[in-house]
Amino acid sequence: MKVRVLVVDDDTALAEMIGIVLKGEGIEAVFCADGDSALGMFRTHQPDLVLLDLMLPGKDGVQVCREIRAESGVPIIMLTAKSDTLDVVVGLESGADDYVSKPFKPKELVARIKARLRRSEDPGPERLVVGDVEIDVTGHTVTRGGERIALTPLEFDLLVALARKPWQVFTREVLLERVWGYRHSADTRLVNVHVQRLRSKIERDPENPEIVLTVRGVGYKAGTTR
Amino acid sequence: MPHGLVTRLRRVISRARVVAVRSTRRGAAQWRASLQLRVVTTALAIGLAAITVLGLYLSTSVRDGIYDQRLAAIDREAAALTDQVAQNFSETATASDGDLQQLLLDTITTLGATSGSTADEYFLLHELGSSSQVADFASRADLKDLLITSELRAANVASDEDQVLQAVGIPAAGDSGAVFPGVIVGSTVQATPDARYEIYYLYSLEPEQETLSFVHRVLLAGGFGMLALLGVVTWTMARQTVTPVTRAATVAERLAEGHLSERMPGARGTDEMASLARSFNEMAESLQDQIRRMEELSAMQRRFVSDVSHELRTPLTTIRMASEIIHESRHQMDEDAARSAELLLGQIDRFESLLSDLLEISRFDAGAAVLDAERRDLRDLVMSVVEQAAPLAEKKDVRVSVRLPDADAAADFDPRRIERILRNLVVNAIEHAEERPVEVTVAENDRAVAVVVRDYGVGMTKQEVEHVFDRFWRADPARARTTGGSGLGLAIALEDAHLHAGRLDAWGRPGQGASFRLTLPRSAGVQVEEPPVTLAPASHEPGVLTGQIPVVNQAAGPTPTAIPDLSEPCDAEGRATPAATDVEVH
Repeated sequence: MKVRVLVVDDDTALAEMIGIVLKGEGIEAVFCADGDSALGMFRTHQPDLVLLDLMLPGKDGVQVCREIRAESGVPIIMLTAKSDTLDVVVGLESGADDYVSKPFKPKELVARIKARLRRSEDPGPERLVVGDVEIDVTGHTVTRGGERIALTPLEFDLLVALARKPWQVFTREVLLERVWGYRHSADTRLVNVHVQRLRSKIERDPENPEIVLTVRGVGYKAGTTR
Repeated sequence: MPHGLVTRLRRVISRARVVAVRSTRRGAAQWRASLQLRVVTTALAIGLAAITVLGLYLSTSVRDGIYDQRLAAIDREAAALTDQVAQNFSETATASDGDLQQLLLDTITTLGATSGSTADEYFLLHELGSSSQVADFASRADLKDLLITSELRAANVASDEDQVLQAVGIPAAGDSGAVFPGVIVGSTVQATPDARYEIYYLYSLEPEQETLSFVHRVLLAGGFGMLALLGVVTWTMARQTVTPVTRAATVAERLAEGHLSERMPGARGTDEMASLARSFNEMAESLQDQIRRMEELSAMQRRFVSDVSHELRTPLTTIRMASEIIHESRHQMDEDAARSAELLLGQIDRFESLLSDLLEISRFDAGAAVLDAERRDLRDLVMSVVEQAAPLAEKKDVRVSVRLPDADAAADFDPRRIERILRNLVVNAIEHAEERPVEVTVAENDRAVAVVVRDYGVGMTKQEVEHVFDRFWRADPARARTTGGSGLGLAIALEDAHLHAGRLDAWGRPGQGASFRLTLPRSAGVQVEEPPVTLAPASHEPGVLTGQIPVVNQAAGPTPTAIPDLSEPCDAEGRATPAATDVEVH
């Protein structure tokens, strides 16, 4: 099945260029030039991934990101001209999985898209337990006491990466490589923000996490199974 | 023993002198420092002089007045008494010495009882030079010989009918030894036709003396009172004047420290002080206004740079993607078009790095740079940077050696920024090394870690060293640029070092190479005073390759095994090169 990507960017030249690059990779691109129609386009085309510019006419990228995230766990990659701390963090907190700063290289963009589209190869039936949370890796579901917890694919991957080796402490760099597919050290804020988002969904009390624990000065590890 | 005493005495004296000098100095310092003290002291000194002169004049006048009056009264009284005695004598006939004796005794007694006489004692003496069987009479015999001197008597006799006045001191009764002032008035009287008698009256001036003492006491008290009043008045007035000045000074100081909204109180009113406060506040207002305008202008410029950089990013992304697509299909083009595609891509890389450097600088200028510090070992970072630079070193045929300390060089720093600095220094060194070795040395002490990157290439002049951290400054404009680089690299590196409260120092000499030293505090934000390694090396020849790990692109030679002790070379290096061009940028 052909992969479809929704490109939300008001710069038509850039959007078209992205389309050309993606076509070369066998990916179909749909375009949307403003924030107001982005959600409609998303519903119509049901893309596998969204490339979202943060600065848009009409609704801004952060708002669009929140709306899409509210109804779907589809991977969202922000395109940002500002690598300033605040903009990136606000974008990530609004639900984006990853970001690419302009000016980016085509290969970089494609690598980021592929990393987010990569479905973990079928490992056979696998069930993991962290604390009082059960993870059905094959079925892509997380439950607590039979009640389902909705996670985005990225949050799910993050949780699975930690839960598979509960004895191991993962540094942010290792998690960036495992979950985001970065080869070189990148922005560790990605990890911080998504751990916060994950905690807000699976922890009983996000202030006192029991599932994803922070190991000061090192990184994160899964909580002990009771 | 005397020797010991002398020594001790000398010591005591010298100590006293030290104390005296010290307190004098302290006093002098206070005198210079306090306007109020000066005003009060001066006023008191002038007041004291004036009151002293006035007091002396007053007391002299009062004394003269009292005494003159009293003396005139005494003179009149004595004359009257003498007349009375003379009349008494002339009315009484004296036949014998016995009668005369009786008459003289009666006269003395009468005189003592006479109303209107204020004389204390009376003396009747037969005339000097005459002989008489009749004894002299004195109301107090002990005073006769003491007070009535022969000179006085001679003068009295010589003056004939006139009275003689003589000031004397009257010893008080008893053995107290006190002496009161007094006056003796002498005259002569014809007792019998052939016998003249000298008569003397002794007047005590004790009451006048007491009055005068009382007046003196009053004057003294009044003088002191005036002086105290003067002191209080000048102190208060000086205070009223000095306080606003002090306040103005304090406010000015606060302004100088950058608290631009500081203002002087007491601007409402019509007096000079209020006018001072108003002028001062107006000045501060205009100063604040100017600075605010300058700040706004500068912020606008910074925002402009930042905005331009941002706005350029989107089209640049499109251009980059397009050029890469073109570049990938260059094999299907003719030679010129293919080469153009290569040039295009290369220049876009350069453009992009320039843009990102510009953005980074504008972030520093806007104060928006954030330190994301974590505890890391500088040795690891240096190793990683040197390894990354290996391909470039190989291409340039430059040997890069690294010397690491045994002790850990852990510190709180932002690895992204420090890696950027190190990469910049190492790449710069390799590019300017001219195929001579590059040495990277890491050192540490309790408070700081440091890395020195040294090359033996073209080097820099003193002027070049001074400008090496300037924006867009290039060591040699004529020199063909073989690699990219925005000209902002070292400026950013310096900003990055400052962000860590660290230092970045440069050293260079033409033909002998250059040296850059990055010093970082172990704990974030602590100021480093003494870097753990010297910047300027003693030797201008590359060190012998012993024990450096690792050696990138190593020349043929003995394989290093031993790890050198860095603490010694640190001390040995540099100290002996006073002529070195050594600029430290903080």
